[in-house]
Amino acid sequence: MTEPLIDVRGVSKVYPNGLQALKNVSLSVERGEVICIVGPSGSGKSTLLRTLNALEPISAGEVFVLGHSVHAPRTDLNRLRAQVGMVFQSFNLFPHKTVLENLMLAPRAVSKAQREELHSRALALLDKVGLRDKCDCHPAQLSGGQQQRVAIARALAMNPAVMLFDEPTSALDPEKVNEVLDVMKDLAAEGMTMCVVTHEMGFARAVADRVIFMEGGEIGYADTPDGFFGDTAHPRLRAFLGQVLKS
Amino acid sequence: MTPKVSRLSWIALYVLLLAAFGAGIYIAGKRVDYSWHWERIPQYIVSFDGEEIQAPFDGFVSLADDGKSIHLQALRTAESAKFAEFDRINVGDGDLVFEGDVLAIKAGISAGPLTWGLWLTLKLSAVSLLFALVIGVVTGLGRVAQNPAARAAAATYVEVIRGTPLLVQIFIFYFFVGTVMNLSAFTAGVAALAVFTGAYVAEIVRAGIEAVPRGQMEAARSLGLNYVQAMRHIILPQALKKSLPSLAGQFINLIKDSSLVSVMALTDLTKAGREVVSSTFSPFEVWFTVAAMYLLLTGALSLWVRRLERSMAHD
Repeated sequence: MTEPLIDVRGVSKVYPNGLQALKNVSLSVERGEVICIVGPSGSGKSTLLRTLNALEPISAGEVFVLGHSVHAPRTDLNRLRAQVGMVFQSFNLFPHKTVLENLMLAPRAVSKAQREELHSRALALLDKVGLRDKCDCHPAQLSGGQQQRVAIARALAMNPAVMLFDEPTSALDPEKVNEVLDVMKDLAAEGMTMCVVTHEMGFARAVADRVIFMEGGEIGYADTPDGFFGDTAHPRLRAFLGQVLKS
Repeated sequence: MTPKVSRLSWIALYVLLLAAFGAGIYIAGKRVDYSWHWERIPQYIVSFDGEEIQAPFDGFVSLADDGKSIHLQALRTAESAKFAEFDRINVGDGDLVFEGDVLAIKAGISAGPLTWGLWLTLKLSAVSLLFALVIGVVTGLGRVAQNPAARAAAATYVEVIRGTPLLVQIFIFYFFVGTVMNLSAFTAGVAALAVFTGAYVAEIVRAGIEAVPRGQMEAARSLGLNYVQAMRHIILPQALKKSLPSLAGQFINLIKDSSLVSVMALTDLTKAGREVVSSTFSPFEVWFTVAAMYLLLTGALSLWVRRLERSMAHD
């Protein structure tokens, strides 16, 4: 393999109030790899994810995505972000636009592609997440699970090289979780590079190539799912897994 | 008692209150021996006097075509003019008239001074509204900008304007800015009202932008939109929609505030009212009429905004 798709080198993040969210974190993700980041709340997993497309500025270290230094002042961040899809916990669909407009807005503004081409691509993506019939709805008319599937399709509309998921199912009703996870599983099966912050251990075990346990702003443990969920030597991971798997 | 009956009785009470208020005004008028002359008012709204045809220059009149046309020969130059379409003639053959003299009257309905005043108020408010909106959005964006210079400039503008009386600002615009930049009274009035209202619009826009969830900007930026694109396509449309009720209130204020420009040489509705008072000696009727005409404008605006809000309420 050539250089990794994502390369995080010694990243630290201190908030203005003095709270240290990340402590010298290093991590690399290969092309086609699916990693799941788990850990207790406040452990810095969302912060780490958000440094990957510079939604969160960093205090020290360096992040490389697709060979570009994300936090360097001279990087064309907009171009880089267009290649990094992101899905948020609270969906963040644009409420004043229809589903189809949500998908087409960014590609039309950023790329020079033809309207018809974008339109058919958007419809194909909606097909993929099973929501083609909702293309003229506004987000408020959709359930949480449907909104999150649209949000995934919206991110895919930019044709990204990597997808970041920030607790994509945490705001959903329990019975809606699987419809979103299924879309993500399909995506992983197609070979998409994915970084997923999640509490869904079943998903992590089934889909991830590597599972990363974060605690206190550091990577506490990282292993393949088999090793991760089978390992019992790491006391804090064992305690955490005991807590989440019990429920 | 059924709810329907009780609702009717409340409406009856409301009508009773209105009647009592009207009676109160009538009695108050009686007490100061005011003689009401409502019949004097309509002619200042719609005039049946007809349109005056005035002499464009000094000269001698000669009638032609059996008095169906007036020929005016200038006094000192070779200029001449001919008027044919009129209904009542005011001059005789061989008369010497001066510029502005009424030669004849053309019958018909024309707008009275109060209607002209209303029209000017409407024009003044509409043009000011447009500029105030532009100033307000730009300043509102400045208030939320990253750039410290833009933020400070926007904040200073808002503080200065909101901290000084509109009447004083109008005097400054009329006597200082108007003189220095050689502005017409109308332009100076529009400038004063737009700059004043713009400061309030800016605060409304800022509040609207801040009311849009942070995730909207993050989602837009994560898709590769730059700041300007995100503002234009995602944040501002939502912010302006949220601000619509406050903006409507501010624009109703603008219409009312425009009455203050009557201190300039602008015959808006208020100034027209003052002029009509001095020719009718019926201040009560005139000011009630003027108030009703303002209410017409503001009422129409709030009705339109309510309709706009309903049509935008899809999400």
